[in-house]
Amino acid sequence: MPPRTRRASRPRLTLVLLVLASITIITLDFRGDTKGVIPGIQHIAEDAYSPIRSASDAVVAPIGSFLAGALNAGNLEHENALLRNENGDLKRRILQAEDARRRLAEISALDHLPWTGNIPRVDAEVTEDSTSNFDATITIDKGTASGVADGMPVVAGAGLVGRVVDSWSSGSTVQLLTSAQSDVGVRFGSKGDLALVTGQGKQRALQVDYVAPGTRLRKGEVLFTSGLQNDIFPAGIPVASVASVASSSSATQESVTAVPEAHLAELQYVSILLWEPAS
Amino acid sequence: MSAPSSPSAMRSQTAARVSVLLFVCLVVQHAILERLTFAGAHPDLMVLLPFAAGYVAGPETGAAFGFGSGLVADLLLPTPFGMSALVGCIIGYSTGLATSGLVRGSWWITVVAGLLATAVSLALYAMLGAVLGHPAMVHVDLLPALEVGIPGAVVMAAPACSLVAWALPRDSRSGLMAASGPAR
Repeated sequence: MPPRTRRASRPRLTLVLLVLASITIITLDFRGDTKGVIPGIQHIAEDAYSPIRSASDAVVAPIGSFLAGALNAGNLEHENALLRNENGDLKRRILQAEDARRRLAEISALDHLPWTGNIPRVDAEVTEDSTSNFDATITIDKGTASGVADGMPVVAGAGLVGRVVDSWSSGSTVQLLTSAQSDVGVRFGSKGDLALVTGQGKQRALQVDYVAPGTRLRKGEVLFTSGLQNDIFPAGIPVASVASVASSSSATQESVTAVPEAHLAELQYVSILLWEPAS
Repeated sequence: MSAPSSPSAMRSQTAARVSVLLFVCLVVQHAILERLTFAGAHPDLMVLLPFAAGYVAGPETGAAFGFGSGLVADLLLPTPFGMSALVGCIIGYSTGLATSGLVRGSWWITVVAGLLATAVSLALYAMLGAVLGHPAMVHVDLLPALEVGIPGAVVMAAPACSLVAWALPRDSRSGLMAASGPAR
């Protein structure tokens, strides 16, 4: 091969090699479990970045807050978040108590089901909002060192936030309810009808599927986790309240949207329920 | 800083500068840009780095830099590991190839090139995600990411090129860029 042609083909060869390397890495990540090589590297990086995140937050966060329109509101923001969380917590307790009363009156054999009031919890601070534009997640400052594990439910304010999808020593990633990859089994109404709440992306209403035509569902009605066998959430956590109901004579289900009970756009503190779904 | 004389010293200096650049960009991305959320999306500086490397230094360096910066970005992302690296090397190479014969007399050429590269990057990333089993990345997440990413690219394209030009050695930069620096 003449030298000139060889020189011209070198960038192409480099690209091919790098593309192959990338595909190999993606494959390794896909095939490996949570204790594989690639997640291990990511967890080391997350642990190493945690102190940098704290330091950079302390130094740079005011700039970010300023740019986001929150100049000089740091203390008020913090106080507001605490009060919002406390207020939401009280609201959740009321809703859970109502739900508990209804459940006890309707079904006497529920004692064997897990109940969120008895599940130990770990409080955590949100250290980062969505790191990617392509998944609705948050990062929190409690991880495996605090007993947190993948799959655990996360609550805040009045209801469910999501579940832990990745955890390392000093932190965890929580997939929010609004993530398009999130599905939550719920029940509602006096009969305990079942439905499925799916995320539609950040800052969008949730979609409620499998609501049979003619089902009486009013705006504002709260949907609770169903806690059915092998469900990924325990029963009785408020998930969302119905925002709209539309019926069509030809549809196979009601068209229902809902808004999360927890204020997902303003999360600062959350609680992780130390409950793992049955495998 | 005076230019190092030996090739090994030059390599060390380049490695150090590239490491500093990637670290600073990662911190800026996570500490500042992620807070600027509009319609559920935020601007992404890490997406612009492969473009900047291809624009400043040509296809080969662009591909290598895009791969490296993508891997660094992937370390702290919840999406499958390696996706940013794959998109980064393709964008770095394509930008280098597409702009190698370009006369870069005006700042707006950098901006337009950055804007296009960002749009293609995000679309490629979403499509790759869909292929890997996350179809919502195309029909749910892509539009907000483009709505915020494109204005972000308009603002950050020229600074990103200047930063990459600072990090890479002069002999690896493409002709006009080496002579005049990135369009400002």
